Amino acid sequence: MIHLRDFSYRFRGSKAYALRDLTLDIERGEFAVIAGPSGSGKSTLALALGGFLFSQYDGEASGSVHVNGLDARHTPIYELAEVVGLVQQNPETQFCTLTVQDELAFGLENCCLPPEEIRARLAWALDVVGARHLEHRALATLSGGEKQRVAIAAMLATRPQVLIFDEPTSNLDPSATAQIFEVIARIRAEDRITVIVIEHKLDYLRQFAPRWLHIEGGRLQERAPIFQSSSNRQHPHIPTAQPPLVRITGLHAEHERQEVLHDISLEIQPGEFVAVMGDNGSGKSTFLQCLLGLHQPSAGQLTVLGHDPRRTPVSQLARQVAYVFQNPDHQLFAQSVWDEATLAPRNFGLPEGEIAGTAASLLTSSGLHARRDEHPYRLSYGEKRRLTLVAMLTYQPRLLLLDEILIGQDPRNAEQLLTWLRERVAAGSAVVLVNHAPEITRRYATRLLFFEAGRLTLDAPTEAGFAALAAQGRRAYLPATGA
Amino acid sequence: MSALHLQIAYCPGHSWLHRLHPLTKLLWLLAGTVFVFAVRDPWIIVGSVVLVGLTFPLSRLPWRGVRGMRLTLVTALTLWLMQALLTRSGPVLLALGPLRVTETGLTAGVYVAGRLLSVVWLGYLFVFTTEPNDLAYGLMQAGLPYRYGFALITALRLVPVFEQEGQTIYQAQLARGIAYDRGGPRRFFTLARQFFLPLLVSALGKVDALAVSMEGRCFGKYPRRTYLRQVRYTHRDWIALGLLVVGIGASVLLLQ
Repeated sequence: MIHLRDFSYRFRGSKAYALRDLTLDIERGEFAVIAGPSGSGKSTLALALGGFLFSQYDGEASGSVHVNGLDARHTPIYELAEVVGLVQQNPETQFCTLTVQDELAFGLENCCLPPEEIRARLAWALDVVGARHLEHRALATLSGGEKQRVAIAAMLATRPQVLIFDEPTSNLDPSATAQIFEVIARIRAEDRITVIVIEHKLDYLRQFAPRWLHIEGGRLQERAPIFQSSSNRQHPHIPTAQPPLVRITGLHAEHERQEVLHDISLEIQPGEFVAVMGDNGSGKSTFLQCLLGLHQPSAGQLTVLGHDPRRTPVSQLARQVAYVFQNPDHQLFAQSVWDEATLAPRNFGLPEGEIAGTAASLLTSSGLHARRDEHPYRLSYGEKRRLTLVAMLTYQPRLLLLDEILIGQDPRNAEQLLTWLRERVAAGSAVVLVNHAPEITRRYATRLLFFEAGRLTLDAPTEAGFAALAAQGRRAYLPATGA
Repeated sequence: MSALHLQIAYCPGHSWLHRLHPLTKLLWLLAGTVFVFAVRDPWIIVGSVVLVGLTFPLSRLPWRGVRGMRLTLVTALTLWLMQALLTRSGPVLLALGPLRVTETGLTAGVYVAGRLLSVVWLGYLFVFTTEPNDLAYGLMQAGLPYRYGFALITALRLVPVFEQEGQTIYQAQLARGIAYDRGGPRRFFTLARQFFLPLLVSALGKVDALAVSMEGRCFGKYPRRTYLRQVRYTHRDWIALGLLVVGIGASVLLLQ
């Protein structure tokens, strides 16, 4: 089905090969999982198989790529698209229309299928991903998880022979993730479609016994990942008695007249590492935004480092309270890596000498120092993510609010980011990390908050929190027990 | 911060006008525009303005909520006054010192102001009662090459995306201590660059990715395509088109 022979690829202006001498055969109906660190070439391979690499980027290719007999290097994308469906990491970039129905019909209409056939396939594809109830919704009103399902359904509807998923669950909560992988396995079993999944969440995929492929430094290997047991966790840091950094009583918040947070009360002490979990759309992000004054609560008492975020300019509160957003592209404003790292402390008027020292050491430990004069947009996704964190750590904030920053990060990268966070916690700051990975919560967090439909339904030390979640039957949010 | 919301946009509803086929409305809009420019009787112009104005409450559209409404009224009034006061020819109706209001001036004012109001309001009526998506699909089904139709749909699709992007970038900048909320016009250009560069990069990236995504869904493979969504003509459209034909016929007779 898929045949690569000595395939190499180098992006224009880059010295290193993104992919090097790949030779690979994947047969019809195979289920392959491609793992590897971020920036290793996984997505490049996916783009090559769909033909996108050759029309979207002008790089230097050698060797051959054949999919179902078609030469991917020299076949127009719309020809390949009938054979290969690529579900991208961010469904937002894949949508071509405004409503769910139009979106699913789009590819089929382009292939000139009659309306009755389109209607039947549309219903089938929505059923497979469990999204039939969304059929008449506008895409803009869907949650992240719903969008991802619709994106998958839209690809399924065209019934391609090869389906490639590029981190299809990176925007999804654990329950939705488990469901999507079930869906992928089912599609493949039913239709003998060839399925290739690029993922970091390998634990979920184990049960399907796929063929494991590993890419690192642009080179491909046939090898299964090493699954870590979660028993090597470190003892949580015990917070000391100091005035709380955050004090919230009876907080309510609305978004377009819909209540998104209901009666939240809690305190956060210095030295706490708080993990925030919950389904997509349960109010986690709004909660973080309230703490920096990016979202105005509708009722309740709120004190952050002695200030009321409603009456304090965000840019003033930001000196002590760092906020890192999910997508690094939204947070890179400067002309060079160095300027980016030093932008915020300069805004806050920190002394130049101090800024330079801290920034240099952080950039060195993040492996970005050699690239200090490059434009931030030239970095890979994982490198950008590290840079956005470095840019926050340079002014040593007391409270760090992090919204799903581990999405799309390979374990090694994630480990590095989390180590930095733990150092800040040891220095007396507090970290509030919204994340979907129970293993990470268990290893790093001292406390677990769980949101459900705008309510804080659980606030407990991490282990007690997991026990409570287990009692509620929320299995998708539990770490794998041992190995 | 409330992001830039489009003020003149589709208002969902179920009125008669809402339910007409977009092309029927488009034809009415064109015919109406031609009509008010062809007509040579000030009273008919006044009548047209009143008729178009009354269609707003009849279609349950909020008269007052429309931001452009006051602007058009003020512009129309100014134009009318200017014509009335500056025209020198024709029988004098009123003379106040150097000011002279003539019949010709008043009539000319009615023409200019009335035509402006009719055309702009007809445009508003069209925009407020027509879902842009339906317009695009309607036009494509009527024979517009689908590439042009999708150019419209794509533009519409990207508007909320850029609104959201702009919002996030703004928040991310506040979080990095960029002091938008403390004023100071001095740093305006730095701020503008720091805001628009990421927005531009993300916009270009999005447009590029979208084009490839569309191709990845077989867009452009065939010269034609089929449509699941059928924007249908109903009995209302036949009535409206019938009225339009009668109206055009009557106008032609009237204008001769």
